[in-house]
Amino acid sequence: MKRKVAPLIAAMAALFLGQATLQGTTIFPLWKKNFAPLRADLTGLDPSQLLFAFAGFRELIAGILWVRADAFFDEGNFDAVLPMIWLVTRLDPHQIDVYATGMWHIAYNFTDEGSRSDRRYIPSAVALGREGARNNDQTYELFFETGWLYYHKIEDDYPEAVKWFEQAAGHKDIMTARRNLLNNVYQRNNEVDKAANYLYGLLEESQERYKKAPNEFVNMQNRDTIEQNYDNLLVRMAQRGYLAKKEGYYPSWDYDTKPPFDVGFSAQVTVIEPRVIKIVGTWNVLPVGTRIRVVMRDADYPNAIPAGMKWYQGENINLDPPKDRTFMQDQLFVKNQRFNRTIDMGRDRTMYPFTSDKYVIEFYYNPRQAPAYIQDKFGWNGEGMTDKNFINNEVRPGNPVVYTRMEVSRDQIERRGEWKDVAPVFQTKNYAGLAPTQVDQGVIKVPGILEQPKTQSAPSTPGKAPGISANE
Amino acid sequence: MNVILSIARTTLGEAIRRRVLLVILLIGVLFLVVAPGLEALSPRQESTVLRALTLGVIQLTSAVIAIVLTVYLIPNEIERRTIYTILSKPVQRWQFLVGKYLGAVGALGLMMALMTGTMLLVFMLMKQNQLDQLGELARVPVLFFAQMALLAAVAVFFSTFVSPIVNFFLSGGVYLLGSVFNSLFESFADPERSDINPLVRGIAGAIQFVIPNFQNFNVQNAAINQGTAIQSEAVYYAGLVGYALAYIGVLLIAGILIFDRREV
Repeated sequence: MKRKVAPLIAAMAALFLGQATLQGTTIFPLWKKNFAPLRADLTGLDPSQLLFAFAGFRELIAGILWVRADAFFDEGNFDAVLPMIWLVTRLDPHQIDVYATGMWHIAYNFTDEGSRSDRRYIPSAVALGREGARNNDQTYELFFETGWLYYHKIEDDYPEAVKWFEQAAGHKDIMTARRNLLNNVYQRNNEVDKAANYLYGLLEESQERYKKAPNEFVNMQNRDTIEQNYDNLLVRMAQRGYLAKKEGYYPSWDYDTKPPFDVGFSAQVTVIEPRVIKIVGTWNVLPVGTRIRVVMRDADYPNAIPAGMKWYQGENINLDPPKDRTFMQDQLFVKNQRFNRTIDMGRDRTMYPFTSDKYVIEFYYNPRQAPAYIQDKFGWNGEGMTDKNFINNEVRPGNPVVYTRMEVSRDQIERRGEWKDVAPVFQTKNYAGLAPTQVDQGVIKVPGILEQPKTQSAPSTPGKAPGISANE
Repeated sequence: MNVILSIARTTLGEAIRRRVLLVILLIGVLFLVVAPGLEALSPRQESTVLRALTLGVIQLTSAVIAIVLTVYLIPNEIERRTIYTILSKPVQRWQFLVGKYLGAVGALGLMMALMTGTMLLVFMLMKQNQLDQLGELARVPVLFFAQMALLAAVAVFFSTFVSPIVNFFLSGGVYLLGSVFNSLFESFADPERSDINPLVRGIAGAIQFVIPNFQNFNVQNAAINQGTAIQSEAVYYAGLVGYALAYIGVLLIAGILIFDRREV
């Protein structure tokens, strides 16, 4: 028996060492590189889920949770979806669609009765996008999605949008149309030369592709689209005086951006009911479609900047935004050179808790966000725009914007104490009411050459509350 | 060799006639068939989730089958006293043990092949996947098979000296431990974590080499989430098969040494 045991033990020892060597030198390093969970933080899973996840069924659990999340989507039970997105991305950090859907959901779908997004969530959407891109850097998708969040939803940090779109465009798998979009982002970031060079490069590439396969409709379509965009950009660079500025002869000739147009911004805010504000004001721009940003937030809102906030606030995906803070952001739609909007923040108390003592109301217009037909007058960076009172070069350095703010107390917004029977009214010092042509509802007035807007009269002076000064 | 193959064949025949295994297999196959009836997601999500679910079902069902199949292998023979008939013939104990193990692994392979075939058929019928993608998908159950063969070796080893019920929990426990510890080890080994004591790190590393690492075989993520970049794929798979064979060898030899000394 002894003769049999020794070779067996020796064989066993050799095999044991063999497996340990394989494990240490080959398998574990490669496993870590290729297959290891990218996030070991599984807090939030219940014990059974945790057991399954650890036992190698992470993807299975993630799949089940995502199917359930989809059902919640269909039911409109958005609150239930959030933790599932969080869990799925931790169980299976390669689920690109879950990251993309999660970002969109967090940034867009938590809204109040007036369809205003809860901006307190956006830092979490940014963090989710960054994490997704980090975990899936083999594809362009989450770089693009994060860039799109900055470009489309945040609309106020174009350098970041450029950064993410550039990274997306650097991936080979990016869709053509999405890669082309980088030129628009460059323009919004006032990098017009870069946009032109980028478009030119794309044009050359598209022409090469077209030459290789002229019968492919998509090749022809892509080439034509880029060519048209490139032509448009060159025309705009000339007409808006961009090239003239570069060459130094801008003052000598007329361009579409000269003379700067006075937008004539003025605004009045009335707290018509507790937590309900009515905003009216003037904006002399004739074309329909200008949207002026209005923000109402705690005066000491963490990470706030004028008319916005620092949207990147670290890697923490906090799906439970500060419940004691208020951050309302909306767009004032301009028609007939005026805006008139009532914002009711009384119906969504979880979104607008109003627990602080002081609030600010901010008005903000950034010409970089303007559509092309407005920028034809204003220029890419507002060189064709001015305002007697509210042009501001400091709140966004290098980017002139229209900006003003007003301060409101909690008693005033809640209409309590001395404000119970007196409606608090706040207005810019230049506010003088609306001209009769601006008051008409329904029909869009387009004055002819002889009907240019006259100096505004003040048909009625709204009841200005005692002690409330106009702010600039 | 003939002796081993004869025992393996008999074990295989017995295994595929066992009702409890057939019921488990049937449940697994049913899950695979109904999986495409999930609520509609976007096309890629549907595909991703379907892959995750079907591969998960195959893995889970196989693990249950592997344990249930092997925990009764030796005890049943002893209980029914059929082992006396076998060992009274020119059959050595190690041949009996290896034959039983190979028969069990053969049965396991058949059942897993059936589930894999069902999965591929479902994907083909749904026309979601091209042929090369199906090949990529089919590779995962092959590694699951290596994982389950290792698990079966663990159960065979325990079955030489413990009762089936104890063996069931012991094998299940080793499977969990072998799956869990890799994640924990990775966490402990993170050089950025200064809160880990070097001694703890060393012990964690040592245990990792002792306990069979089942986590290594979980490579489904790349097949579920298309486009994931895998480095040195062939080397990894070859190393993994070598690892499984070496560890199975260790467990079978240990089982033989114990079984040789056991009174039956």
